[in-house]
Amino acid sequence: MNLVPDLLGKALFKVDGMSVFIGIFIVFFSLLTIVYSLGFMKKRKGLGHYYLYIVLTIVASLGVVFANNLIILMIFWGFLGLLLYLLIDFGGKERTSYTAKKAFIIIGGTDAFMLLGLAFIWHLNGSLNIDKLSIAFNTRLAVLAYLCLAAGAFAKAGAMPFHTWVPDTAEDAPTPVTAFLPASLDKLLGIYFLARISLDVFQMDPAMNRVLLIVGSVTIIAAVMMALVQHDLKRLLGYHAVSQVGYMVLGIGTGVPIGIAGGIFHMLNHAIYKSCLFLSGGAVEKKTGTTDLSKLGGLAKFMPITFITFLIASFAISGVPPFNGFASKWMVYQGIIETAKAGGRLWIVWLVAAMFGSALTLASFMKLIHAVFLGQPAKNRKITEVGPAMWIPTVLLASLCVIFGVFALAIPLKMLILPSLNMNVVFTGFWGSGLATILLIVGIIIGFIIYLLGTATKTRQTEIFVGGETLKDNPDMRVSGTEFYNTVSDIGILKFIYKMAEKKLFDIYEVGKSITFGFNGILRYVHNGILPTYLAWCLLGMIILFYILFKHIW
Amino acid sequence: MTGAVNIIPFFVVIPLAGAFLTALLAKKIKWLPDIIGSVTTLALLAISILSIFKVNAYGALVYSVGGWKLPIGIAMVLDGFSSFVLVTVNLIAFIVGIYAVNYMERFTSKWKFYTLFLLMLAGMNGVVITGDLFNLFVFLEIASVASYALVAFGTEKHELEAAFKYAAMSTVGSLFVLLGIAFLYSFTSTLNMADMARVLTQKGANNITVMVSVLFIMGFGLKAALVPFHAWLPDAHPSAPAPISAMLSGVLIKSLGIYALCRIIYNVIGITAPVASALLVLGTLSMVVGVFLAIGQWDLKRLLAYHSISQIGYVILGIALGTPLGIFGGLFHLFNHSVFKSLLFLNSGAVEYSTGTRDLKKMGGLMGKMPVTGGTNLVASMSIAGIPPFNGFWSKLIIIIAAVQAGKPWFAFWAVLASLLTLASFTKVMKYAFFGTLKEKWNKVKEVPVFMKVSMLALALICVIGGALLISGVNEGFLGSASNVLIEGTGYAKVILGSVK
Repeated sequence: MNLVPDLLGKALFKVDGMSVFIGIFIVFFSLLTIVYSLGFMKKRKGLGHYYLYIVLTIVASLGVVFANNLIILMIFWGFLGLLLYLLIDFGGKERTSYTAKKAFIIIGGTDAFMLLGLAFIWHLNGSLNIDKLSIAFNTRLAVLAYLCLAAGAFAKAGAMPFHTWVPDTAEDAPTPVTAFLPASLDKLLGIYFLARISLDVFQMDPAMNRVLLIVGSVTIIAAVMMALVQHDLKRLLGYHAVSQVGYMVLGIGTGVPIGIAGGIFHMLNHAIYKSCLFLSGGAVEKKTGTTDLSKLGGLAKFMPITFITFLIASFAISGVPPFNGFASKWMVYQGIIETAKAGGRLWIVWLVAAMFGSALTLASFMKLIHAVFLGQPAKNRKITEVGPAMWIPTVLLASLCVIFGVFALAIPLKMLILPSLNMNVVFTGFWGSGLATILLIVGIIIGFIIYLLGTATKTRQTEIFVGGETLKDNPDMRVSGTEFYNTVSDIGILKFIYKMAEKKLFDIYEVGKSITFGFNGILRYVHNGILPTYLAWCLLGMIILFYILFKHIW
Repeated sequence: MTGAVNIIPFFVVIPLAGAFLTALLAKKIKWLPDIIGSVTTLALLAISILSIFKVNAYGALVYSVGGWKLPIGIAMVLDGFSSFVLVTVNLIAFIVGIYAVNYMERFTSKWKFYTLFLLMLAGMNGVVITGDLFNLFVFLEIASVASYALVAFGTEKHELEAAFKYAAMSTVGSLFVLLGIAFLYSFTSTLNMADMARVLTQKGANNITVMVSVLFIMGFGLKAALVPFHAWLPDAHPSAPAPISAMLSGVLIKSLGIYALCRIIYNVIGITAPVASALLVLGTLSMVVGVFLAIGQWDLKRLLAYHSISQIGYVILGIALGTPLGIFGGLFHLFNHSVFKSLLFLNSGAVEYSTGTRDLKKMGGLMGKMPVTGGTNLVASMSIAGIPPFNGFWSKLIIIIAAVQAGKPWFAFWAVLASLLTLASFTKVMKYAFFGTLKEKWNKVKEVPVFMKVSMLALALICVIGGALLISGVNEGFLGSASNVLIEGTGYAKVILGSVK
């Protein structure tokens, strides 16, 4: 008798358009990370392990992408959580081991729920092969199964409410690790998995799409609001990494081809510009030794390459045309508008959330660029540009931001994304970027000529003079830009919400922790170490057993 | 066939002889206890692996002690289930024995340790191998009494207190088991388990069997540390020397508790739906209560002890589902838990050996100083937390799938929740003990001696490749034949009585 049912089926792995497309970019980002690490991680301890984990991460990610069986996928997926945990631990800051633990508990915990989802699917269908599944939401178990699996995807990608590990990791992990995992690879995988289950494994219906739309919208707005008030470079970027996931979830949640394609395209774009941002940020960290915004400033002069790459990526993330972020956000907007045809007015909410989020992103990056690259330098020190191992990856990524934006339709969409989806994507209003780009370039050239001709090059630098007074709050007499949006957190209800966020009431990890330790406290109180009490429990337990079992007979 | 039967008594004879020899000869000669301990456990491991092949070749084997025919004399029975538990017990015993060579240098009178250790092993093997209910009780007491002494081995104040509590509670459990046996004997007029099963099937279910089921659930449940009979364990297991903690948590609670409970409830009395659901609830309760208690602990060994309660819950949950897949998953988890929990206790012993503390708050950054201990501890932690591809992942996966398949998704949910909290509490261990910054006072800490390293690495290896036991062709012979015995239920009587003729 065969006791273990054939959980694996026959076709364990499968190659299709989407997996090839994601696979290519996994390898691409991995190579960039390795090159960058050669510069960034120099002279640290345990580099052998570091590169081993990176390579294992690549292998496991490819395993996830090419897996056709959900258990095979789960093995690689779960192993990635462990690798993330080990990689974060290279951070070497005081809070690093705490952050690693938190990230792993959130990711590993949702992985455990994915197992439950797998069990539900097996119960419903008797198969775990992705190509054999197509489950409709007609039973409660199917809905639960989808939610369990989606929770895993959300946690990996960093969507709310499982996002809290992302900003912490961004702050405490080594920068290449942040750029590699939370910013690019985990996004690719999380959204890949969400797309897989939404498109292939389950048949989505409007109610479930609405769940995704809500998660997406809330993620966009809430995370960007948090980003506005941050004063650490990497943590701020971390909140944006959460916020952008909202667009991808939103895109997939629209359920229309253009929205889904937009969501996937945004996932790719996000990986590009966000790793560019983190890597550029890492260059700043490497040279100045800090990521605290109030201690940075005026770096544009010393690190021109980093400045340009950072600037391009910032425009891309804020959705400024003609960069890639705009192209994909535009497709997501179209997808949302498309859903309006199905009736209902809620689409306006999603659209407003998406657009408003985009505006706030731009606002937040204005602050960031001012605080890091413009403004006045914090101290008079000699800072030089980083070495080629560190700027080559950022330049490459920044140029991809431009290329994927200007030639959005011709290169990424037609070559990679549309073939992978098997859908008929109709562009209701595609934005021809050619003319606009030419105009923009002309504008920039003209501006540059004016700059050269005019007197702008002949500036004079001097100390700040405030009527002879010394500012109490700012003894070094400079405006860092960190406080740009502090007033936001003083507005009525927002003030209250920010206060709650400070107390970590929205952090699923902290909330779970207090509940757990609440139970723990009760149980510990009961375990008082007195022998008669313990014996009394035994007898009590036995009496209850007697009662229950004899109840069945009499 | 006759040759195969003759290996059966050796499971008890070898460790008893070893214990006797150690007590007799090894008092004066310092190196002898180590040799006797290792050789005996190695021999036991060899014959238990041999027994797997014999059982697969010939089916259940019965040995009549002293040539008295069944059902009059005492029988020893080797079938799939017992050979599975024997392999588990003796594998762990062998590895722990190697570990003890270095570790027990901290204590005086190593020979006493080995005598008690082998005596306990004889008791455990005896419980598993016997086919006679009263004989089972005798071996149960041999193992228990030896373990009381081992818990008190350090003879410090808290160790003696823990041993006393353990002895008092465990004796209560044993007495209820004895009461149950007395009831059954008076009802069936036989003590042979197979014969008893035959008589009970003829008489049908009645009040006596229900009553006896409750007594056994309480008695063996206490040995297995099921909630609410668990309270002795978190005191007793941490107080023992590390190799003994590994034996207690790794195999003692399983052979005396789970094995005996399942053997009697499934094969002798026959499982009924109410009893199965009572066990399901007790298992789930243990799983959840254990992990909630564990997560707040700062004493490393105490934390591990609470996790034993929680993991035993998984095993009982799987077995009590009653479906073939559930039983398979439960037994697989039993094996896996033996491996990773022993490893975790050995790790905690290694940390204590090097630093002298088991308070998590005082440790930190030991990974750099003790790479083998840290690395193996990571492997074991990931196994117990169910992170793929380590062995714990597979058994949890099967248990969860089996629970959903059996139409009990809520039990699956609790299993998942407990798994999450297990992960949380082991990342806590890793964070406070091994990661983070090294405290200054540990600058001179060294990695443990070679035998301790070897045994930890061996267990870690089993954790990594444990999933291979699922491969078809391997699983039928080892786990499959063990679960088949439980699936058969009271059909056990026919198999055993049939194989004698």
